[in-house]
Amino acid sequence: MDSKKRSTLLTLGAIVAGYAALRTVPSLLPEKLELEPLENPTGFRKYVAGDTSGGFDLFVGLDTPEGAEIVARKEAAFERVSDNICGALYGDLETSAARVPMASFSDYYCPYCRVQTKRLAEMTNSMPNEVAVAWHELPLLGDSSNLAAKAALAAKRQGAYVSFHERLMKTPFQASPEYLSRLAGDLGVDEDQLVSDMESAEVVRELENSSALARVFSFVGTPALVIGRTVVQGQISDRMLREIIDLEREDGWDSACMSA
Amino acid sequence: MGTRVRASRFSLCLLALVASLVALTLTEGVRAAESNIYSNSAVNARLVSAENGVAPDAVSISLGLVLEYGEGWKGYWRTPGEVGLAPEIDWTGSSNLASAEILWPAPERFEAFGIENFGYSGEVVLPIRVMLEDRGEPLELRARVALLTCSNVCVPHTFDLALDLANGTGIDRASANAIATFVFQVPAAPEESDIEIDTVALDAKTSSLFVTAQSTQPFQTVDIFPEFGPLVTFGKPDIRLSPDRSELWARIPLNAWSDDYVAPLMTVTDADRAVTAPVVLSADIPAPPYARSASGSGPFQLVLIAAVAFLGGLILNVMPCVLPVLSIKLASVLKVSDQPRRVIRNGFLFSALGVLTFVWMLAVLILVLKWIGVSVGWGIQFQNPIFVALMFIVVAAFAANLFGLFEIALPVGIQDRLGAGSDRAGYAADFGTGLLAAILATPCSAPFLGTAITFALAGNAVDVLVVFTALGIGLASPYVLIAARPALIERIPRPGRWMLFVRMLLGVLLLATAAWLLFVLVGVAGWRATVLVAVSVGVLILLAMTEWSSVSLRRILMAASLAIPLVGVGLFSSQQRSEASTGTTYWQAFVPQDIARHVSEGHTVFVDVTADWCLTCKANKTLVLDRDSVADRLSDEAVIAMQADWTRPDDEIARFLERHGRYGIPFNIVFGPEAPSGIALPEVLSQTLVLEALNRASTRNVVRD
Repeated sequence: MDSKKRSTLLTLGAIVAGYAALRTVPSLLPEKLELEPLENPTGFRKYVAGDTSGGFDLFVGLDTPEGAEIVARKEAAFERVSDNICGALYGDLETSAARVPMASFSDYYCPYCRVQTKRLAEMTNSMPNEVAVAWHELPLLGDSSNLAAKAALAAKRQGAYVSFHERLMKTPFQASPEYLSRLAGDLGVDEDQLVSDMESAEVVRELENSSALARVFSFVGTPALVIGRTVVQGQISDRMLREIIDLEREDGWDSACMSA
Repeated sequence: MGTRVRASRFSLCLLALVASLVALTLTEGVRAAESNIYSNSAVNARLVSAENGVAPDAVSISLGLVLEYGEGWKGYWRTPGEVGLAPEIDWTGSSNLASAEILWPAPERFEAFGIENFGYSGEVVLPIRVMLEDRGEPLELRARVALLTCSNVCVPHTFDLALDLANGTGIDRASANAIATFVFQVPAAPEESDIEIDTVALDAKTSSLFVTAQSTQPFQTVDIFPEFGPLVTFGKPDIRLSPDRSELWARIPLNAWSDDYVAPLMTVTDADRAVTAPVVLSADIPAPPYARSASGSGPFQLVLIAAVAFLGGLILNVMPCVLPVLSIKLASVLKVSDQPRRVIRNGFLFSALGVLTFVWMLAVLILVLKWIGVSVGWGIQFQNPIFVALMFIVVAAFAANLFGLFEIALPVGIQDRLGAGSDRAGYAADFGTGLLAAILATPCSAPFLGTAITFALAGNAVDVLVVFTALGIGLASPYVLIAARPALIERIPRPGRWMLFVRMLLGVLLLATAAWLLFVLVGVAGWRATVLVAVSVGVLILLAMTEWSSVSLRRILMAASLAIPLVGVGLFSSQQRSEASTGTTYWQAFVPQDIARHVSEGHTVFVDVTADWCLTCKANKTLVLDRDSVADRLSDEAVIAMQADWTRPDDEIARFLERHGRYGIPFNIVFGPEAPSGIALPEVLSQTLVLEALNRASTRNVVRD
């Protein structure tokens, strides 16, 4: 009877242990924090993930062929941000050697962008003295994504960027006046201000800057993230994110900004 | 959004395309007709044509957009799901092209980070039906393709593909076959499919879409894709099949709804067939009839669940609900302490068998109830006044026996059958002890038990029997342990005066149990019926205590005092449930359809499903819910506390439990702006657990930057 009981216990124990192992082991496998310096812009480096972001010719969007005027504006924006990369990335975030800035680039139609926005928002909430986020919109996916980006940036001007994105998860974005009105009401932002900001020159300029930054860093898609001086493309685990933040703090993230 | 294709037009295009492909395969091709290739690590794309040239008199051409997604990359269907983007082709610059229509092969479902997407991975060919402007004339195709690919990063692509078809005949067999393969994966029109979509109903109350469908050929691996335009998005469907797999029922939760939806399409996919049908919303919400198809319990899963059920049964032994039973167990231990090992062993084995028998009875009852379509739950027998009355009689008689009020077996033999009162050391009594222990153990759910019961109730007869047997073995394991090691009994001191005290103590415990049952009876049947039962049982015990000259008269009277309460309870049960004063006033009535509204107004809703007969619920209430820290939170204006009383049968509560995958109580769940679909709490609560769930559901993690 003893041996029978023991084997029963062993079987049960094995089941429990197996389940626990299945749940925890994958997250325990060490991820390598592999960084590779970028040739351009200098001073920055890239997080080499499982590597899916390589092998693309150029940064593209789903846009239509463009006129000479638009090309000229793009070139101007490219010059502008190249002159002051950190300024364009992080804007007027209050940073210090200990408070690492992050620039988040997202698109409304990109599934993982939602998760990243939420995650970064939670992170700034829980460690406000260690990190700060500058929100960029990189609407690569056509007209609706462009409009949603403008609305997000207009909401950002009234301090409602993250809540705007959370709100969009409940009702898909529509470019109708009724939708924007309802949205403004739900977010507690001024509706007229929101609508006029959407079409304002500043919002257009901000989009141009973000798009030029994407060119500077050769982003292939969204989400993209620049942490201090480290570029991350696509999904990244929370642990890895924190590790990079710590590394940036220790390495002195602002070296890149000084050299630029 | 992608090109919307009306279902009715599918069939025509399909037929024409298949016919031309079959015809074409008969002649031999000379030279491949393919466009340039767009290629990177996410996707390789090219246009292919089944025909090598435009035959004289040809009015249409069969094209395919070949997309080979890289490892880990995905592309989207015409309806991409919550986010994502359908591929689009702009044909500007083509010549002799009247129209081009993409036929969308049935999609796969992708789930990532809780976001539902529909699309393709690996290699897919999007068949394209091209109509010529001038029949038999050469065709020049200029396609600007815009598509989105996502892996852990989303990369958009815009590229140009060019393909010229001069006059000529012959086909490219490889291309034709590739296109044909995917043409067969395009969902059929309703009139050509053996899948028939019966109803599609929108239920605002549960904010879900309900779908029923049937098929002459059994369903295998079904999925279901509703399309209501870009403004309406859905969560993961709960799909169930009838036992013969000919009927389908599905509930698809709404993530976002808009009354401005476009004419809806419903696509049902199954192993190698699919159908897309235009649908009209109906108001009749079909009831959930079948077991979950997704569970499709493999033998491994069943073994795992059986292990879980065993654990649940084991833990049930130490749940507050089983406290009354402990005394019965102890009493039986005392009874056998001076008997030979063989008798002890057999006695405990019979008790274990008693436990199992009850569990099997329950399993059979559940199967019968399921078969006739009654919703079932764990412990619901305590909702039946006659059952509670019978339990009260048995326990009261047992207590009286322990107090030494009477020592003889009852003439009708209920003790022999249900309790261990008889001096004849019959195994029947041991069996009865086990049976009674199991019966009294059932009113409450325990950790692990919920999971197992849920699985069993949603499964087939084999699932039910296996899970219940494992549960019974778990519950009976204390008996089995003693049967295995009768020597344990010998550690108990020799019988003496101490046994009298223990007997009294156990009697008090049982009396408390009887009092609890009486209290339950008040809840279930009302005051009048309860008084009747209590008085009858008093009479019954008095009759058993006294000596009578006429044995037959005594028997008749005792039978009467047994029958009267049972019949009386049935007759006198008052239909109204007296409003129990909960003492604390912040508890509101349970109105499930208001939960969503409260949440949308920014409130957090705490739901407590309880019942008079659920001792674990009482323990939760006293030890956790009524404690200051939790009570303060629940009485907070931002929190709405709802109490659902399941003492009596209530379909609404049963449905609520089932919707959240539970069949027993206690059940507590928290809804809030951050958790609109609810955070279900475990059976045994702690203050930290409750407060944490309340925080998690209500905190808005919003940074104002």
